[in-house]
Amino acid sequence: MARVVVTGVGPVSSIGIGIAAFAEALRTGRSGISPITSFDPAGFPHRNAGEVQTFDPGAHLRRVDPARWGRSSQFAASAAQLAVADARLDLTSVAPGRAHAIMGTTSGESAVAEALTAQIIADGFAGQDPALLTQLPANRLANAVSEELGLSGESLTIATACSASNYAIGYAYDLLAGGEADVVFAGGADSVCRWAHAGFFRLGALAKDACTPFDKDRAGILTGEGGAVLALETMEHARKRGATIYAELLGYGVNCDAIHPVSPDAPTVAECMRIAHRNSGISPSDVDYICAHGTGTPVNDLVESKAVIEVFGERPPPISSIKSMLGHTMGAACGFGAIASTIAIDRGFLPPTVNWTTADPELGVDPVPNAARPANVRVVQNDGFAFGGNNAIVMLGAPE
Amino acid sequence: MSGVVVTGWSALTSAGVGVDALAKKLALAEAGQVEKGQEIGDLYEEPLPAASGHVLTSFSPREHLGRKGTSTYDRSTGLAVVCCQEALREAGVSLDDEARPRIGVVLGTSLGSFKSTSDYTRETLVQDKPYLVNPMLFPNTVMNCAAGQVAIRFGLRGVNATIAGGTLGFLNVLRYAGNAIDRGHVDVVVAGAVEEFTPHRAWATHLTGATDVVAPGEAAGMFVLAKENTPEWAGTRQRAGVLAVATAYGPGGGDAAETALAGCVSRVLAKAGADAAEVSTVYTGEVEDDDRREYGPIVRALGHSPERVMVKRLFGECDAASGAVALGVLLAEERDSGPGGLSLLTARGADGAVGAAIVRRYADGGPDRG
Repeated sequence: MARVVVTGVGPVSSIGIGIAAFAEALRTGRSGISPITSFDPAGFPHRNAGEVQTFDPGAHLRRVDPARWGRSSQFAASAAQLAVADARLDLTSVAPGRAHAIMGTTSGESAVAEALTAQIIADGFAGQDPALLTQLPANRLANAVSEELGLSGESLTIATACSASNYAIGYAYDLLAGGEADVVFAGGADSVCRWAHAGFFRLGALAKDACTPFDKDRAGILTGEGGAVLALETMEHARKRGATIYAELLGYGVNCDAIHPVSPDAPTVAECMRIAHRNSGISPSDVDYICAHGTGTPVNDLVESKAVIEVFGERPPPISSIKSMLGHTMGAACGFGAIASTIAIDRGFLPPTVNWTTADPELGVDPVPNAARPANVRVVQNDGFAFGGNNAIVMLGAPE
Repeated sequence: MSGVVVTGWSALTSAGVGVDALAKKLALAEAGQVEKGQEIGDLYEEPLPAASGHVLTSFSPREHLGRKGTSTYDRSTGLAVVCCQEALREAGVSLDDEARPRIGVVLGTSLGSFKSTSDYTRETLVQDKPYLVNPMLFPNTVMNCAAGQVAIRFGLRGVNATIAGGTLGFLNVLRYAGNAIDRGHVDVVVAGAVEEFTPHRAWATHLTGATDVVAPGEAAGMFVLAKENTPEWAGTRQRAGVLAVATAYGPGGGDAAETALAGCVSRVLAKAGADAAEVSTVYTGEVEDDDRREYGPIVRALGHSPERVMVKRLFGECDAASGAVALGVLLAEERDSGPGGLSLLTARGADGAVGAAIVRRYADGGPDRG
């Protein structure tokens, strides 16, 4: 079994684009939440989201023509381009077919779907723009990465909702560990959309102004967007080319609650943590930090905390939620979590849970409130849970 | 990956629910009675681009599943759950509490139910209050809705992945599921793909020219996959072996995609330890004899011209589910598989994605493993 390492990261987020800006934002606890501009939020009681309002695809993309691809694909390809640059990887040196693109998503090209729906309302089904329809299939997210980087390996989009990036990183781990790849670009992308904003509001799961995970008065999520891609390599490949190794990908675990479409189940989530630990060859006492799923809804944070205490005991490692800064970036969320985990290991600090004011005694966890904390981080657990009861947890460790 | 075996399967196609309906339609086609779809009738109020298609006109999930838990299902979800029920039954999987955490679900799609997401968006645009959407239907707007409901219905607690592959969907699923079994994440995967017929899909395929030569269709196909040495609870018969799967990408499409497809064919042969001469049949995504976008690179890679089966002629353009229908046809047909008896399933996407799987059908359902 080959060992797998992270050699580059490409965040395209509301708190910063590229590793330098993103890491600085995590360290300073910057919020990326702002009034919605990507759709008209008039009539909605809540009007904030984590949009990447400074995103300019033309600044990143060399081969993919933004006019022919939807916003989520543009995020994916731009994030991949940033990850390559950060890894200082010359892709022409990788054997053809040994570099793959594995992307996760919740809603694919949701902004395209909404534009088409507006056309259906205005002009009927026949009035839809065929060029927009060709942008709609979700497999285009991975294909955008493959096109942009000129990859001829597998090009796979995993649509397992909000744990999708961890699914993608996990599959990438298998490809690399099993000797079927030298390099894999893995992560996820999604776009802010009107229907998710409405849906979460009607579920009673949308916060008004700020997302406050693990706070007693937490009120829910804010939707967010972006692209998050990691450059993953076998350790042998990375060493041979003299790459900087940020972190080691130790393994992952996945399972399914199989109980309820939206309500998570603490025992199954705890079991997923145990599977991830077992597959990574570590024990709970090895974990220094948990990068939470941490959506900020009353039920998610309670279930996640319960599972953590079931697995780690009464004194679990610190657990913070970067969704307090980014909002819930859906299919990209676990990718951002993996990038934040990598940065935590590489730069020696725990990202904070911002907007935190009041402890919830029912949770019993340390959410790293408001300010980043210096720490020697050797092992991180990156949590991801999704509608459909789809749990996926990725483990990262300090390089040796 | 090493190969996996199919211990049971089912398909919902325009022929009807289940394997027998599919086989009956194949027999009629063999006798020259090919239909170009059926009258869709009043399935939807909205206008459709054509009056006929390959549609399960009278399909009702409740008829197969009862009322409980089905009221929020969209069409994709209903097709997937019923198909999974049939496949588990065909395989004879015993669903006890020991087995359930070791069974995964891997389901292919293009983008889930475009109707569900579009209808939801519509409500936010036409209601006086844009947030007056139905919270019960919100989970249907995410692409993993059907896979999640399959897991809930049958208590399947292993890996639960939804793969958005479009035309490549089913081959992506076989690849992903084979890996999950090979790496020990689960012992068994119910692997398949689903695509629903709705005005949204019918118009999307029509306006993009995908159905210029074939009517749009809907289908679900689910296959119970396991390792050869899997415990008996996974099903006692081996219907087929999926010996190897390979997918790749040809940036820019065109020649690069053809080269990538030929490469996939060579790789699955090598992985399966098979000789090109053993491949007697290929199941491709084309529709017309002179369309050789898949068949051409396959013939070049094999060095000979095996029989080509184009399942979309009989079952319509089912996008992600077309590959699942192809494997169903492969398993259902009373075809003389000839010397070697190996078949290829192939797909080529609109961008540059390509893939191939190599399959051996076991005559008469294979050896009884009991």
